[in-house]
Amino acid sequence: MISRGQRLTIWSLVWLSIITLSLPTVVVLGASFTAGNMIAFPPEGLSLRWYEKIALARDLRQAFFRSLIVAGVCTLVSIPVGTLAGLALSRFRLRFAGVIQVYLLLPFTIPLIGSGIGLMLVFGQWGVLGSLWPVGVACAVINLPFIVWSVSSSAVLLDPDLELAAQNCGAGRVQTFLYVTLPAVMPGVITGSLLMFILAMNEFLVSLLLTDARIVTLPVQIYNSIRSIITPDLAAVSVVFIVIALAAIWLLDRLVGLEIFLKSK
Amino acid sequence: MAAVRSEQPAVVVQGVDMDFGTGAMAVKGASFALEPGRFLTILGPSGSGKTTLLRMIAGFQAPTRGEILIGGRPADAVAPHRRSIGMVFQKLALFPHMTVNANVAFPLKMRRHDPRTIPARVARYLDLVRLGGYGNRRIHELSGGQQQRVAIARALVFEPDLLLLDEPLAALDRKLREEMQLEFRRIQKELGVTTINVTHDQREALVVSDEIIVMDHGEIQQHTSPVDMYRSPANPFVASFIGVSSFLEGLSSPRGLMVNGVDCAGVAAGAILPGMPARGAIRAEQTRIGAAAEACDTVLEGRITDTIFEGERLMYFVDLPALGTGVRIYHHDPAEHAPFEKGATVSTGWNARDLLIFPAKDR
Ligand SMILES: Nc1ncnc2c1ncn2[C@@H]1O[C@H](COP(=O)(O)OP(=O)(O)OP(=O)(O)O)[C@@H](O)[C@H]1O
Ligand SMILES: [Mg+2]
Repeated sequence: MISRGQRLTIWSLVWLSIITLSLPTVVVLGASFTAGNMIAFPPEGLSLRWYEKIALARDLRQAFFRSLIVAGVCTLVSIPVGTLAGLALSRFRLRFAGVIQVYLLLPFTIPLIGSGIGLMLVFGQWGVLGSLWPVGVACAVINLPFIVWSVSSSAVLLDPDLELAAQNCGAGRVQTFLYVTLPAVMPGVITGSLLMFILAMNEFLVSLLLTDARIVTLPVQIYNSIRSIITPDLAAVSVVFIVIALAAIWLLDRLVGLEIFLKSK
Repeated sequence: MAAVRSEQPAVVVQGVDMDFGTGAMAVKGASFALEPGRFLTILGPSGSGKTTLLRMIAGFQAPTRGEILIGGRPADAVAPHRRSIGMVFQKLALFPHMTVNANVAFPLKMRRHDPRTIPARVARYLDLVRLGGYGNRRIHELSGGQQQRVAIARALVFEPDLLLLDEPLAALDRKLREEMQLEFRRIQKELGVTTINVTHDQREALVVSDEIIVMDHGEIQQHTSPVDMYRSPANPFVASFIGVSSFLEGLSSPRGLMVNGVDCAGVAAGAILPGMPARGAIRAEQTRIGAAAEACDTVLEGRITDTIFEGERLMYFVDLPALGTGVRIYHHDPAEHAPFEKGATVSTGWNARDLLIFPAKDR
């Protein structure tokens, strides 16, 4: 049993964390509903006028759709690559396991600006800068370790006998993969791909380096506006980002919670 | 109705070693042949190499040395998914994301059976393992014993040429296990499928098998019929593993075994010369006590040190001061329930043919 004192300490810590973590969100949320012309907390009056404004702003809307495209491309690229890499990493004793481990740590060691410039040079060389898909591919390259991890953590839980059992039942390699291996790692694939989507949606530095004025993505667009003037519409945009992230988490919970149904058949 | 089969053995294992490189070899010099349609049980203590041997036969692991032939062809000559081998894994390996029906239908789907015939066949095999009506459950919604029966149905449903069972009945309660043992035997005879069953339950081995292999430390100790395995164990290990035996250490003598200066009646099992250090094995159910002991070839005075009630019979632990050791005795007395008291002095005896004498160097 925990004593009263311990319980008090634990709950104080919990609430402290909740408040510090959610404070910025609450402030932004509040500020976005202001009726005034300045970002302020608490807001002056309540209105949806800034939401109306961002909904009507063509440049913001276009930037938003571009970000969706980038996130979509990134997710589409990373699902097959990340799934196969994650499976390979956990199932086989790879020869270059050490090298791969280092690669998986890259997002935490190499500053994004470094990899961003590298990719800018490569894509510049290939002459593909100026279109959207390279931004998506770049996001996939940079964030790939996240989906690889997610998949391989599902894969290590997979009983290797399951694949042997499938073969014994008459399933060839492809069928074994489709009917047994893939469904078993599906939770990892779903988690990883939603993560990739969110990360690409929010990716700022790489987008900044790889886009030009005609194809700015939402985070870059916001950054550009901040440089001129800070108005409550930015708070409204931030709320949109938060809503997307929440939607992804909700989706994740539904999908992975219901993965058994997804995997049946 | 057994299918027409070729003359050659269904399974041949020739000088097979398996070395995982982790110390002692998991399987050492295993050799045996199994005729089509026979039911073989591999019996041995935990870690004796049973699963390893079975997985090599299934073609999941290549032997370090030696050769395995299935139906006359090397085990690895055919791609794993084209072999007609049904297998129940020790850890079951059911597909967790599929229903019971889907699990059992999977081999039929993969083997391109007519989709219209699949549901009826799945239902028939689920009935066979007494799981009719459970088809729409998910695997994690079943008890351990029910899962085991799903695994059995999945292995049987495509009527394979060879059935490999790795302790398929371990999680069942005794009543269901005994029913399933008989069921297995019936199905196996009906389908005529060559079967290799792994277990460490000696009773199961005796009940279901045409032949038994006893393994210990990766080596085959004996390969023979259940009756022979029981009556003429090849060494003290087999004697101790099948049934309950007591052991007497001494020197072999013309009459049998000299223990502590007492010449006990017995028969030599294997090459043994008088005067050699030897070890005698005597079964608990062949050792007599009380009035029944008086007429035996060897009769000694014993003192009861402990009694265990096992329901249909009693086990006595009897100290034999003359030999300086004790024996265990099963006693079944249908007429009267008058057990001997602890501490009582009783006659203890056995007939010469029941004390088997092995060279002492054997394990
Ligand atoms: N993949 C492996 N790598 C290394 N050693 C192994 C491996 N599989 C089995 N062994 C070893 O081989 C020996 C035999 O194992 P095996 O699984 O065949 O035993 P078993 O007779 O099936 O035992 P049980 O009745 O407990 O299932 C054991 O000592 C085990 O530790
Ligand atoms: Mg085993």
